[in-house]
Amino acid sequence: MRIADKVMNIADKSSRIADKVMNIADKSSRIADIPMNIADKSTEIADKPQNERSNAMKYKGWLLPPALRDFHEGRIWLKEHAPFQMEDIEKAIHHKYFHIIEGIQKEPHLRCNRCHNDDPQQFTTFDCSKCQQPCVYCRHCLNMGRVSSCTQLMTWTGPRAIRTRKHALKWAGQFTVLQEQAANEMLESVKAQRSHLIHAVCGAGKTELLFPTVHYALEQGLRVCIATPRTDVVLELYPRFQAVFPQTVIHALYGGSPKQEGYAQLVLATTHQLYRFERAFDVMIVDEADAFPYTFDETLQSAVQKAKAENAPILVVTATPSHKLLTQYQQESYSFIPKRYHNRPLPVPRFHSLWNYEKSLKRGKIPRKLKQWTEERLARKEPFLLFFPKVELMKIATPLFQQLDGSIMAVHAEDPERKEKVLKLRQEEVPGLLTTTILERGITIKNVQVAVIGAESTIFTSSALIQIAGRVGRNADFADGDVVFFHHGITIEMDDARTKILNYNKKGFSQ
Amino acid sequence: MNKMETLCLLCSQPLQSVISWKLLLTKQFQPTICERCSAKFEYSSTASAFYQYNDAMKDYLHQYKFLQDVALAKVFRQKLYARFKHEKATIIPIPMHPLKLRERTFSHMEELLKAAHIPFIQLLEKTTAETQSSKNREQRIQAAPLFRLMDGAHVEHKEYLLFDDIKTTGTTLQHATELLLKAGAKNVKSFTLING
Repeated sequence: MRIADKVMNIADKSSRIADKVMNIADKSSRIADIPMNIADKSTEIADKPQNERSNAMKYKGWLLPPALRDFHEGRIWLKEHAPFQMEDIEKAIHHKYFHIIEGIQKEPHLRCNRCHNDDPQQFTTFDCSKCQQPCVYCRHCLNMGRVSSCTQLMTWTGPRAIRTRKHALKWAGQFTVLQEQAANEMLESVKAQRSHLIHAVCGAGKTELLFPTVHYALEQGLRVCIATPRTDVVLELYPRFQAVFPQTVIHALYGGSPKQEGYAQLVLATTHQLYRFERAFDVMIVDEADAFPYTFDETLQSAVQKAKAENAPILVVTATPSHKLLTQYQQESYSFIPKRYHNRPLPVPRFHSLWNYEKSLKRGKIPRKLKQWTEERLARKEPFLLFFPKVELMKIATPLFQQLDGSIMAVHAEDPERKEKVLKLRQEEVPGLLTTTILERGITIKNVQVAVIGAESTIFTSSALIQIAGRVGRNADFADGDVVFFHHGITIEMDDARTKILNYNKKGFSQ
Repeated sequence: MNKMETLCLLCSQPLQSVISWKLLLTKQFQPTICERCSAKFEYSSTASAFYQYNDAMKDYLHQYKFLQDVALAKVFRQKLYARFKHEKATIIPIPMHPLKLRERTFSHMEELLKAAHIPFIQLLEKTTAETQSSKNREQRIQAAPLFRLMDGAHVEHKEYLLFDDIKTTGTTLQHATELLLKAGAKNVKSFTLING
């Protein structure tokens, strides 16, 4: 460690070569991994006066670029797609810093070694001009660069990245009694390396609950991942975590995310991005674990297992756990928060019949009750969200609502201006939005009022309806609001959602 | 490549296969994309191409050529089969440079024809690995010869049909046409999947 200390001193003086020297420092603290002459070199450098140092740095051998190590640690990556020079990659392979596996595993059955997809329907065989023989590729994770039988995947086995134990927690908020209890229970679980389910109603302050646990884990030098099925949630969490952990390198990974520098000890990612990790994380947190497509796509669930270290605990956070999740965790460890942080009950949805609404909209007429409700919101200047079961129906309805107020807009999943439109609602530039279920979770708008049109549709499951109702009354100053389910017949799912909400309120306010 | 698709190749929604007399009695390929996805492609008004270039086509080409999703060769097989089954001219797909071919691992034009069970031959060889899409209009028109004849290629005095994916300025097709005519072809036609 003495060598390392000396070199560190120089690193402070000269920022130009700091990176390279850091690399040596790191290496020399792990002497077992490297030939002695590199360690010797670093003493030499330390002894030389400053002006001769550039000469001494002309080491003829190959030095591992720290960026390469920082990027690849914990990742499983296509060799051809590595964001570094091929020369460095080859050298690293030569030093046995990479473990190489074939892209597609053929025995005992076809499996993609990146996304673990093994559905034969998702593979295609073709005559490959590169390997000159029939080649199989995986269509399931095609968007991340094609994995085929003649491509190779690399995992890092070289020297480990430098992890720091210095992490500030800059958060001045106060926990409620229930939050405090749940946060402590979760922390205990992580200390005992035990998986944990946090079941907290919408607006209970789930994100804040994570802060003490994440901080503890980072200070232990552990690598933490917060994964969620929704890109919107990653985008919302990222700035919040950056503000709360100002000293920590945090990366946000989602489809199309920009390249980010350094080694992130805290990673916020969509569950899709976890296909690209292997045994990387010591603590795995899954937020909104019941959201589409996570529950629907089994490879995403196996990706979470694959991306974490073998005995790393999984912390699941959700407002609407599935029955399976509940039974799975109830024996292990489970925290439940039935109350919102501002100590007011959850708004209970009203049911309102809206017979033949689809027909009426297609005929170019907004049903009377719905029109009344919308006009009332406009008159009171309350922002509102109207949830539609189908994009097609929403597109038919949009011009009709725009007759009531020209600035009403519609958003759906493929809308490129989705973020801007939600922002406009938040800044009160538009009175209300028509939306599909994409806005069912993760958004907080002050004093928002909500109506579901066609609540009997199969897409509105009980958990979707609970999430939708959970948009209302999240702000302490506007803790109440209207949630109305307009329907063409009441379904079991609607009843279930209402019963659960009533139940939470009963549990939260009985003591 | 010959398996039945149960999900749309473009949007992964389940495909509904409808059994019909037409399907049983004539040569019909199973559909590979759903009606919603196929409705996004816009037909071309010209006779020398099927489609007009639009966003859906841009996404298709990106997934097929850039993400190397060979399975997408099947998307247009029914249309290609119908267009070419009575074709008298000999079909020549526009070739790729060997380096590009290794890089992409398949020839996208040949795969389209193979998927539609259309016979074709190859007489041409690409001289440059540069892509047309990286050049502007001026550079394209002034480009040095893009093709040469393959070693031992024999151009007969008959009609040929060149097949390419997209026609923007027409330079690629013009180069190939001139070369074939000079080598003794009687007539050279061309057809593209997309009009740019």
